[in-house]
Amino acid sequence: MGNFGQLMDGFAVALTTHHLMIMVMGVLLGLVVGVLPGLGAPNGVSLLLPLTFTMDPISAIILLTSMYWGALFGGSTTSILFNIPGEPSSVATTFDGYPLAKQGQAARALTLAFTSAGIGALTGVLVITLLSSWVANFALRFGAAEYFAVYFMAFASFIGMSGGSPFKTLVSMMLGFAAATVGIDTISGESRLTFELDELIGGISFLIAVIGLFGLGELLLTMEEGLKFEGVKARLDIRVIARAVAEVPRYWATLIRSALIGCWMGITPGGPTAASFMSYALGRRFSRRGRFFGKGEPEGIVAPETADHSAGSCALLPMLALGIPGSATAAVMMGGLMIWGLSPGPMLFSTRPDFVWGLIASMYMGNVIAVVLVLATVPLFAFILRAPFTVVGPLITVVCVIGAYTVANHMFDVWLALGFGIVGYVFKKLDYPLAPFVLAMVLGDKAEDAFRQAMLTSDGSPAIFFSNGLVATMMGLGLLLLSLPVLSLLLKGGRAAPKNDAAATPEGRSA
Amino acid sequence: MDISRSTMDIAAACATAAVGAVVCYGATLNGTAWGSSGPEPGYFPFYVGCLIILGSAGTVVQTLLRRAGGRQEHGAEGEAFLDGERLRTVVAFFLPIVAMAAISAWLGLYIGMGLYIFYALRVAAGFRTLPSLVSALAVVAVNFVIFEKLFMVPLLKGPVLEAFGIY
Repeated sequence: MGNFGQLMDGFAVALTTHHLMIMVMGVLLGLVVGVLPGLGAPNGVSLLLPLTFTMDPISAIILLTSMYWGALFGGSTTSILFNIPGEPSSVATTFDGYPLAKQGQAARALTLAFTSAGIGALTGVLVITLLSSWVANFALRFGAAEYFAVYFMAFASFIGMSGGSPFKTLVSMMLGFAAATVGIDTISGESRLTFELDELIGGISFLIAVIGLFGLGELLLTMEEGLKFEGVKARLDIRVIARAVAEVPRYWATLIRSALIGCWMGITPGGPTAASFMSYALGRRFSRRGRFFGKGEPEGIVAPETADHSAGSCALLPMLALGIPGSATAAVMMGGLMIWGLSPGPMLFSTRPDFVWGLIASMYMGNVIAVVLVLATVPLFAFILRAPFTVVGPLITVVCVIGAYTVANHMFDVWLALGFGIVGYVFKKLDYPLAPFVLAMVLGDKAEDAFRQAMLTSDGSPAIFFSNGLVATMMGLGLLLLSLPVLSLLLKGGRAAPKNDAAATPEGRSA
Repeated sequence: MDISRSTMDIAAACATAAVGAVVCYGATLNGTAWGSSGPEPGYFPFYVGCLIILGSAGTVVQTLLRRAGGRQEHGAEGEAFLDGERLRTVVAFFLPIVAMAAISAWLGLYIGMGLYIFYALRVAAGFRTLPSLVSALAVVAVNFVIFEKLFMVPLLKGPVLEAFGIY
């Protein structure tokens, strides 16, 4: 029960006026980011990150995580009111949310979504509270080989469970690794892949890649699709809200199932997008009212929302305890931790318990604040979204360009971000998943160091990756995950190949 | 001018394969073998480059197989990636951004963003001149206050603002 005492210490850190203000500000910024298409959670956190370099790490991480919660909630607002997901992970919410809103029950749909999302998020945070120090203690025994095995498992699960083309996932991930190796090699001090270009010696920042791929790429895509917001009017009546909140416990079976799916997909790097789709599909299959899904069925809102948010918060568990982010946004935050001079992973729990438990405590507070604020600001954002995208788009573009510049005060980074924007646009259209790219970019150096150190200790023999039960099990699991696409192809006899395309679209935009 | 999805798939895969080849080549400059103190710096990137080429080749094969299968079902080219009109929309949105970056590199970010917003509102969104001008100035002013005053992150000023004594 040591965790409980530490959590209380964490609350003492998080519950200051200063930090509460930061949470409110972060959630509001996150709502803006989540509501506006073209600005997603990974991109929003990247844009804000350079501004936190001068803050103390606890305030900075509270700001960024609060923004993350806000973005997760904000994405659902547009899904329900406008049938346009503000975040990739809220695509599944449109299936039943928008039909219910069109039947004149927008307030009920929104309240159901936010309440179940809040329950999902709190479940996720509870899982983090209970498991994180245990996982971290376990991971203290890890050597270089074990670390490489964990990275290997994380990346293999992307390829094995991506749902889209495993080749595209592989290419996206390896391009991320290649981008991470540009610059000075940390072990030998030689410059790599810079081709005598001075601008590349400092390496390519993952923030630039995220701003380009997720920000500018998404903007180009939204522009091309000719976005128009034709929304449902939402009038929020306090009695309707109260009745909808009271309705939520009735869906306990869906809640539990979805929260479990979400936690699992969040801890393994499946991410919130995959979790919400899986939860919706399973809900349709197992719910007694499954045949009403897609026509404005409340359970069809509860299922993806709960899973989306529990996955979103659980994605922070492996980031904190192992140093392996469970989603693209978590990857960006982990990059932030490293910039602030903290090394995420098991040691963080013993070196900076105030940071870890302050953060975990702030997650409880941040989500409660997010539920309240998101309900309060629905009319405001519904109003903002009536502005045409030809006006909103350029404003977001300016934010992205400035964001790219502020990463290191180089104009070269702006050009790089524009390049990544085109890549992101083409990749998204062709269903290349972008999350593995970002993960590989953030983890590239660490994975390479772990690999090289392990090979050094074993004198170049790959047998070290199977030298004890722990590392062999992890490598075995990784290999099994890698072979999943082949196995499923063999089982299906190759006849289901075209169906994969439909499944690939949401994953490719994975948050 | 229509670009089919399978053509684009193959073009993108060729591009990624080319990047993979560049990565492999760059890695050989650092040495990809085992030196006296373990793997040389190019060892890891070299295999990363190889995997990029492998994945790209896989995508090409997959696309060709699907195209062969799809032809029987939907006729010649299958799904469209982009048609002329959509391409024009995207280019019309993207070129001004490139222009903004070029102007910003020369005259500073504030002037770049001001001109860009004015252009986007006046020409692309079709607002009248005065509202466009006021909005552009407002965007510049808000960004100036946020970055220079609130967060103390100086943005690129360029020669014009410096001539007015704003650093």
